Amino acid sequence: MQAFERELLTLLPRLRRFARALARDAADAHDLVQAALERALKAREQWAPGTRLDSWMMRIMRNCWIDEMRSRTRRARTFVPEEEGASIGSDAHREVEIRAELHTVEKAMNSLSAEQREVIALVLVDGLAYKEAADLLDIPMGTLTSRLTRGRQALAQMLEAA
Amino acid sequence: MIDDETLIAYADGELDEIGRARVERALAADAALRARLEAQQRLGGKLATFYRPVAEEEVPERFRSMLETNVIAFPAPRARPRRPFWQDFAALAATLLLGLALGRSLLLPAAGPIGVENGTMVAQGPLATALDTQLASGQPADAATRIGTSFAAADGKLCRTFDSAALAGVACRGDQGWQLLMTTAGSAGPHGDYRQAGSANPLVAEAAQALMAGEPFDAAAERRARDSGWQRR
Repeated sequence: MQAFERELLTLLPRLRRFARALARDAADAHDLVQAALERALKAREQWAPGTRLDSWMMRIMRNCWIDEMRSRTRRARTFVPEEEGASIGSDAHREVEIRAELHTVEKAMNSLSAEQREVIALVLVDGLAYKEAADLLDIPMGTLTSRLTRGRQALAQMLEAA
Repeated sequence: MIDDETLIAYADGELDEIGRARVERALAADAALRARLEAQQRLGGKLATFYRPVAEEEVPERFRSMLETNVIAFPAPRARPRRPFWQDFAALAATLLLGLALGRSLLLPAAGPIGVENGTMVAQGPLATALDTQLASGQPADAATRIGTSFAAADGKLCRTFDSAALAGVACRGDQGWQLLMTTAGSAGPHGDYRQAGSANPLVAEAAQALMAGEPFDAAAERRARDSGWQRR
């Protein structure tokens, strides 16, 4: 395996988390990771060694997601969400609790606009600095902070009420 | 007055020293502002709890093998060199011979890892035992057979990839035992660096991907499948 693939491999856990935060559900996130990896492998010459592979890769993933949403709107077809994976753990009670909580977070995220959502995914889920996130999205800092503030307000409101 | 944008920037550690001091002074004097900050911090915690497990999950074999096989696939595809027709005949003849030899050895009881059960090719001996009992997590370093991925096929049968010195492939559990759906030359030995190479045999990975319905099993699902005797779903 070459350095490019090796580095991608170590980024995969983070990329999967980012995909999960961008996409509607686990099945969409899985498809998104696959699409982004395929695109990255095809475009590998465009990555300049020594520059940050994580930002490059997240930008690709974001573009894949935008493309997917556009083609979905075109098709005007809804995705049937895949059954959630088999549950892990023995404490059924606790599990139900966690599951209910998970469900609320996902619902709240799904209610955000795509623009708010990607900012939340970068800053709150991936932990990027504002400047890094603004550069990655190619938007001014002011736009970033206002999207982030509105997204955070909406999420906090929904999750506090739940 | 501290607005939400400033308060959130404070929570995200994005304020400079002067900004931080200003927010902290206001927080000390204002219980409602503290409540707003706490709500934002709780939000961060909830998102972290929800998304952290995704980053901690084992990366699906499918993605891993996309990256691992890419190296093999990467050099520009070369046109297949034309070769004299008699070489094709020679290859064909060799295959026939191999088939004859295999066929003969298959008739012998308990010879090698492959047997025939009602006309299907099935694993036998130590390979069958490894497929029955061995978990991918925590296999001994010197295991003769290395188990790769376990997964459910579209028809509900449970399947596993394996690699050993002699043979690598995909086996699915049916009524006759572990039916070998695909086999190729093995790469795993009792020692050496096959841990990287083992489950990444591109032919095996490709066959597994074609059969797989949904995600490969994680460690817990693999254990459950084994404990239930690899019954189809």
